[in-house]
Amino acid sequence: MDYAPSPDSHARAATAAPPVPVKIIVAGGFGVGKTTTVGAISEIAPLTTEAEMTMESVGVDDPGGTGKTTTTIAMDFGCVTIDHTLKLYLFGTPGQSRFAFMWDDLIRGALGALVVVDTSRIDDCYPAVDYFERAGLPFAVGVNTFNGQLGYNLDEVRWALAVRDDVPIVPFDARFRGSVRDALLVVLDQALHKAVRMRQS
Amino acid sequence: MSTDPEIPGVRPFLRGPAPASPPETGPDAAAVLRPFVITSGRTAAADPSIGLETQVSTMPGVSPDRLSPERRAIVQLCREPLSVAEISARLRLHFGVARILVGDLRATGHLDVHVMDDEFPDPDTILRVISGLRALS
Repeated sequence: MDYAPSPDSHARAATAAPPVPVKIIVAGGFGVGKTTTVGAISEIAPLTTEAEMTMESVGVDDPGGTGKTTTTIAMDFGCVTIDHTLKLYLFGTPGQSRFAFMWDDLIRGALGALVVVDTSRIDDCYPAVDYFERAGLPFAVGVNTFNGQLGYNLDEVRWALAVRDDVPIVPFDARFRGSVRDALLVVLDQALHKAVRMRQS
Repeated sequence: MSTDPEIPGVRPFLRGPAPASPPETGPDAAAVLRPFVITSGRTAAADPSIGLETQVSTMPGVSPDRLSPERRAIVQLCREPLSVAEISARLRLHFGVARILVGDLRATGHLDVHVMDDEFPDPDTILRVISGLRALS
């Protein structure tokens, strides 16, 4: 830090060092509860920003062309102030089953991702799982239970998603802060494992 | 004079090739470009190290006068540090536009942009996030 503003000076408040931002991505198909998840834990009402995304169409006939297009998507986000030097941001991004987003911009520096799954439309989250696996980003799958009901048991979900055994699959309720917090803690546990591995190597 | 009996002479243009179709610009071309009018048409000048969560604060003592309305709004908004995502959401600017304007305002000395390295966060930072979240009730 180049300077240390005096803490009692309001006039110099703007020069106070801002918090270090860290972020977790909340990904999933349309209507699975991403915004609810972000809103349950955020200290501000979720905000929306529009951003460009490169998409690669998958699973559809693509006669000619590279299959990559740029589109504008709406992203919901919120934040949790850990302390005055550290702030956690949560970015909720869509992931329709027909498209694989190129989230390279978004995941740069991210701690990890929570992939939100609705068991009645499980294939909606395939692109997100694929992408985070390939990118080596720590992630966990959160099965949104909607009213405490879980349509399938977690082994069936794991089988349907075909994720590695070390990817945690946790049931949670996107409406409740404690439940979202616990799901995020599972993601952070994965992130910690990665960070420790990186330090050792 | 042509005396081809098959072709009536009244509407000879019917024999000609079909009129050229208007140039293909694609339905989304205008929609994509329009937000970038604010950035004088630049869409690619953004600094890739400026991310959604990058913190931005106004330099002390700078005057937002003589700036364009969007730039002035950013300078006024960032008297308290704010992320680029929040700037984009609060001013209803496309994130790509907000990122370019923030880069411009850094170049002109109006903003301090706190770019972090791209490295994966260290274990100590993650542990602090974990204990911070655990403390939430």
